[in-house]
Amino acid sequence: MNNFNYKKNKALKVLTGQQDSKMVTYLNSCVHCGLCAESCMYYLTTKDERFIPTRKVDLISSVYQRYCTFTGKYFPKLTNARELDEKLTDEMVDQMFGACTLCGRCTKHCSIGIDIAYLVREGRKMLSEMGLVPSTLQSTVNAAIQTGNNMSIPAEEFTDTLAWLEDELKDEVNDPQASIPLNVPDVNILYTLNPREPKFFPLSISAMAKIFYAAKESWTLSTSMYDVTNYAYFTSNDNEANTIARRLYDEVLKLNAKRCVLAECGHGSRAFRWEGPNYLQKKYPFDVITSVELLAEYISQGKLKLDKEINKELITLHDPCNLVREGGVIDQQRYVLKHAASRFVEMTPFGTDNFCCGGGGGQLAMSEYNERRMKIAEIKADQIRKTGASVVVTPCHNCVDQLMQIDSKFKLGVQVKTLAEIVADAIILE
Amino acid sequence: MTLYKTISLAAFLICSVILTFHFIRLIRLGSPKDYSQKRGNLKSAISFSFTGAMNPREKESAYMHLPTYAAGLLYHTGTFICFALYFLFFFNVGIADSFHWIFIFVLIASGMSGLGIFIKRLTVIKLKHLSNPDDYISNFLVTGFQIFTLIALLNETYTPYYFIFAAVLFLYLPLGKLKHSLYFFAARYHLGFFYGWRGIWPLKSHGQIK
Repeated sequence: MNNFNYKKNKALKVLTGQQDSKMVTYLNSCVHCGLCAESCMYYLTTKDERFIPTRKVDLISSVYQRYCTFTGKYFPKLTNARELDEKLTDEMVDQMFGACTLCGRCTKHCSIGIDIAYLVREGRKMLSEMGLVPSTLQSTVNAAIQTGNNMSIPAEEFTDTLAWLEDELKDEVNDPQASIPLNVPDVNILYTLNPREPKFFPLSISAMAKIFYAAKESWTLSTSMYDVTNYAYFTSNDNEANTIARRLYDEVLKLNAKRCVLAECGHGSRAFRWEGPNYLQKKYPFDVITSVELLAEYISQGKLKLDKEINKELITLHDPCNLVREGGVIDQQRYVLKHAASRFVEMTPFGTDNFCCGGGGGQLAMSEYNERRMKIAEIKADQIRKTGASVVVTPCHNCVDQLMQIDSKFKLGVQVKTLAEIVADAIILE
Repeated sequence: MTLYKTISLAAFLICSVILTFHFIRLIRLGSPKDYSQKRGNLKSAISFSFTGAMNPREKESAYMHLPTYAAGLLYHTGTFICFALYFLFFFNVGIADSFHWIFIFVLIASGMSGLGIFIKRLTVIKLKHLSNPDDYISNFLVTGFQIFTLIALLNETYTPYYFIFAAVLFLYLPLGKLKHSLYFFAARYHLGFFYGWRGIWPLKSHGQIK
């Protein structure tokens, strides 16, 4: 058996080794109505028919038809059933990785109810089995597996950054006892970080540390496993996703924390909270919530005293797809903003209908698709511009990164902040 | 039983057996086993998936394409009526005059919707690129079934052709996309399950500030 056939068989096992009826249902449901087209940022901004979500479904279902159905085996032309060959895999790489942010907008609006984003992830899984994940994205996964965080930040650099931030915190709250606890066992909360925070946005760590201080929380960071991200979710390599999720799972158990609080990271929160237990094939014996929910909890319980007049600028909110449409954290960030900011305006559309920032699905890590990524960002730029806001808040560091690039490219003149930064600014310390 | 009815019945049974196989496979494979901590109410979410989530106001595929959506709705209504009428014709059950004319008017409208959808698929470039032969054949057969049902309602002498055409439809149904008559329901179930597990559906709001 040649190498391609070996890989092909591995990819086909993704289609044949079904654990439940979800995939077979979706692969048999599309009626090619094409009404999903206008839900996709790629199609809306390029009018390229290859990018219509149903075309992406078709790439996988055509293979399924060819190898798994009577019609596809004996009358392939009838349903356009296709051989899984190099031409098709090239198309799949381009459209599954290079033209989908996995935002799930097409899923919500599909006339039938097909979870198109799920099928694209299954398509990515097939490509992953064939070793066809774009090297740029795979290198981010490799960094996480080899070094413990996706930016390969050395432990010394990380602890130095935290030591500096702790000094800043002491000054800010005027309390020499204020701290950023590291590796403390038996605490209430093990807090996680997106490695972008220590690397590029340390102020968001300060913000959260100030919030924990104000709320008198018992918490800790781990220096050995703090990375909330899991880029193997984007490559759909379940083994690698399992390895990354297991490390955080083990760390929570090792430190015996009651709760794991996931930093402002859309895909990271999804990958650990919703997908993680399935990667590990076990239920978590601890509670997992996002920092957005925690902030809402603190405010509703009166643990934080806020003065929303401190945040006077007009603020708008970008809803991260994995946190909101695919994660159900919809109202909490609005509740927080209502208490932490005096002027707020929604984008149109917003909430579960919001458009992706354009950087989801691993797009920010895949430089070969940069041009497309910034092309589809026109929609988000337009949404922001129409609000007239001067600050865009988003509870996701991946989105922060993309929104800052959008701000620069489209000259929006906005500041991009995390939710924790807005809350920290509004805190009144007693 | 006449020969054309026998052929039609045989085709119907073959179709039913194959669809039953598909149904059993779905049941056997079952729902996803999710180890994450459930946050929502599955029953409400699955119910919402079949009701509120199908509301045209909830779906861009509906409110941004209202003529197509309305045509699709009519087309499917006509199809359901045709299947009900098939059994009435088969067992020679009479239809009350008032219903008779209602069915005729609905089938005229649904048949025209079917033709409209067929023409749209042939002429709109975007749709043409999405389509494969099965899309055209499926649309042709279902629209044809509606037209034959209409003719049979108007004039009984054409009933043999009606049953033969129905037989062709039944034999084709499990082969291509017409299988969505079964899988549609499974798709709505799974979507409700997914969004319900995470507490996203039933949607209380799109995120209005409270």
